[in-house]
Amino acid sequence: MVSIKEPKDFGEVFNYLAELRREVGTAEFLRICFNLGREPSAAGAWWKFCLILGGISGAYALYMLASVGHASFNTSSDGINWGFPIAVYVFFALTSSGLTMIASLPMVFGFKQFYPIAKRCVYLAIITLIAGFSVLALELGHPFRMLWAMPTGMQVMSPMFWMGVFYLIDLVLLLIKFYLLWQGDWESGFSKFVGAASFVAVILASGMLGLVFGSVAMRPMWFGSFTSIYFMLTAALCGAAAIVVTTYMAYDFDATKMPPRLREMAQGDQLPKVFATLIGITLVMIVTRMWTGLWSNLDGLEGFHVLFKSPLFWAELLLGLVAPFWMMLQPGLQTRMAPQMTAAFLVLAGMAINRYEFIISGQVVPMFKGTWVNSLEPYFPSLTEWALGALGLAIALGGYALGEKLFELSATPQHEPEGKLANAAA
Amino acid sequence: MAKWGMVIDLEKCVGCQACTIACGMENSRLPGEHWQDVIFFQEGEYPNTEIKWFPRPCMHCENPSCVAVCPVRATYKSEDGQVLIDWERCIGCKYCMIACPYGVRFYTEEKARYGGPDMKQVFPSDDAHSWNPPWRMPQEDWRHGVGVQPHDVVSKCTFCYHRVSKAPKGIADLDPQNPETREYTPACVVTCPTGARFFGDLANPNSEVNKQIAYKNGVRLLDHLGNKPQVYYLTGEGGSVPATRSLKKI
Repeated sequence: MVSIKEPKDFGEVFNYLAELRREVGTAEFLRICFNLGREPSAAGAWWKFCLILGGISGAYALYMLASVGHASFNTSSDGINWGFPIAVYVFFALTSSGLTMIASLPMVFGFKQFYPIAKRCVYLAIITLIAGFSVLALELGHPFRMLWAMPTGMQVMSPMFWMGVFYLIDLVLLLIKFYLLWQGDWESGFSKFVGAASFVAVILASGMLGLVFGSVAMRPMWFGSFTSIYFMLTAALCGAAAIVVTTYMAYDFDATKMPPRLREMAQGDQLPKVFATLIGITLVMIVTRMWTGLWSNLDGLEGFHVLFKSPLFWAELLLGLVAPFWMMLQPGLQTRMAPQMTAAFLVLAGMAINRYEFIISGQVVPMFKGTWVNSLEPYFPSLTEWALGALGLAIALGGYALGEKLFELSATPQHEPEGKLANAAA
Repeated sequence: MAKWGMVIDLEKCVGCQACTIACGMENSRLPGEHWQDVIFFQEGEYPNTEIKWFPRPCMHCENPSCVAVCPVRATYKSEDGQVLIDWERCIGCKYCMIACPYGVRFYTEEKARYGGPDMKQVFPSDDAHSWNPPWRMPQEDWRHGVGVQPHDVVSKCTFCYHRVSKAPKGIADLDPQNPETREYTPACVVTCPTGARFFGDLANPNSEVNKQIAYKNGVRLLDHLGNKPQVYYLTGEGGSVPATRSLKKI
């Protein structure tokens, strides 16, 4: 276990930090923050890596945005209006939604065997949502204007308006829920209500993010209610993959360091089965979407032909989905750590590609533009756009590693038994 | 209230791009930021091939999808039927560009089109404007998307709001041939050397635009999408409205 003693509440956190800084001086305090405790661990290593990655990528992105502005992006009015940063935002926002859905399994639907990952899921959901929002804010032209223009405009016809509303509600509910779990309140009426409300909010939020794309009839690669369902289900897949990766990371990729109940869950076949089911559903959705896209002659669906010829698409399909699906179906592999980790990493990489190609391929056929515009718009993210992606990753992973060091993210309700292993020992 | 609309006679249009240039000069546009454009495209395959052209301003739709999707109501429909942008509300999310089927919206902060030079660097602004063109239009009204825009907003054709909004109330047609209405008529209509463009009140049954639409079977671009453009095309025997946006074969 790599967490330091969990503070009781925010007051204790700030008091401890202030006291530490007074005791050791500012320079030493910053050094301790960088090292985050002296105990070497995967979370500590991730924290340091993310501080460096976030520092470099954030500094570069902010410098470029301040000096060149959004012209440092490779997006263009002629075709690709929404580029890589939007794909990064969608990836993190949906991963956050998926984590909330996974947390809802024990906290809303009573699958108590998943309790050991619930608190970590809620924490990660908060951090990934913050990472997504941060990247989106840097992509927008005037992010702060949004704070007054959205409530005063009240454009209830806009899916983006509702996406903002639901994700804001989602974030607030997640923060409340995490605070309650932190205080050990797992099953009071209020805690259960917040959990159920979070689940509803996250379904609405991810569905509405789908409708941001699904509502636009002039973009046939995105249009339709399918997009909403697709986003919700693939969100759950990303959530499942993220929790597998981070849970193992918390214990230095060593299952023997896990508390008995968590180890029992990790080495059981239930989480892998949930994971395999979600991969299978995603595979069906991606293949059927591609199938209809290739068969139809509708104007604007030419993007599917581009996608079909793209090596990225095949990497996503075969390496990111088919291989992990096969691994999670094998009884000899599904309960072992290495295949679980490999599958989860592959799925996360595959879904990151999926978000990117979903966003970009929907725009490659330009609308009625000028004479010299290509019939299919080329696009490759600029260095600034990559830096924004790296910044998002650093915020998500660094924030997670910080939480791993500060909180008992594997905590379960105190009256819950510690699993069969503990019972056997007793 | 008027419902301003435009009729473009494709049989008269010779593809000279005078409208594109007039619009750029009138509205201080960057090179390539063509609020109004004439798109040239090829149909058929060799040896049975033909070059065609198609003038494309903003359609100022009756049911504008760009207005519905704007999360902050920066894009709106004016009382007289123009679709406009309030640059003091726009957050630069570009959702309206995604939702416009006609590709008539432009984001300010982009790399120079046609490979540069970047006029924003050549004529930099030292205030809130995105650049400082030497031929800057005298009018400025950011609430209606008129003038040189600020940084990080979306811009589009205003149907020359700064001209049309000053027209006498109740007038049916803004005819560039009529000295009394010429100064209120959009620049692209005024400059068209063949008189292929007509501008008037679609809500007035006696307007010239309504007569042209009725007598010459005016059609609208991508009508099946339901945006109901207020720009109509007269195809006659020599012109055609492209049915798809992918104008060339892959």
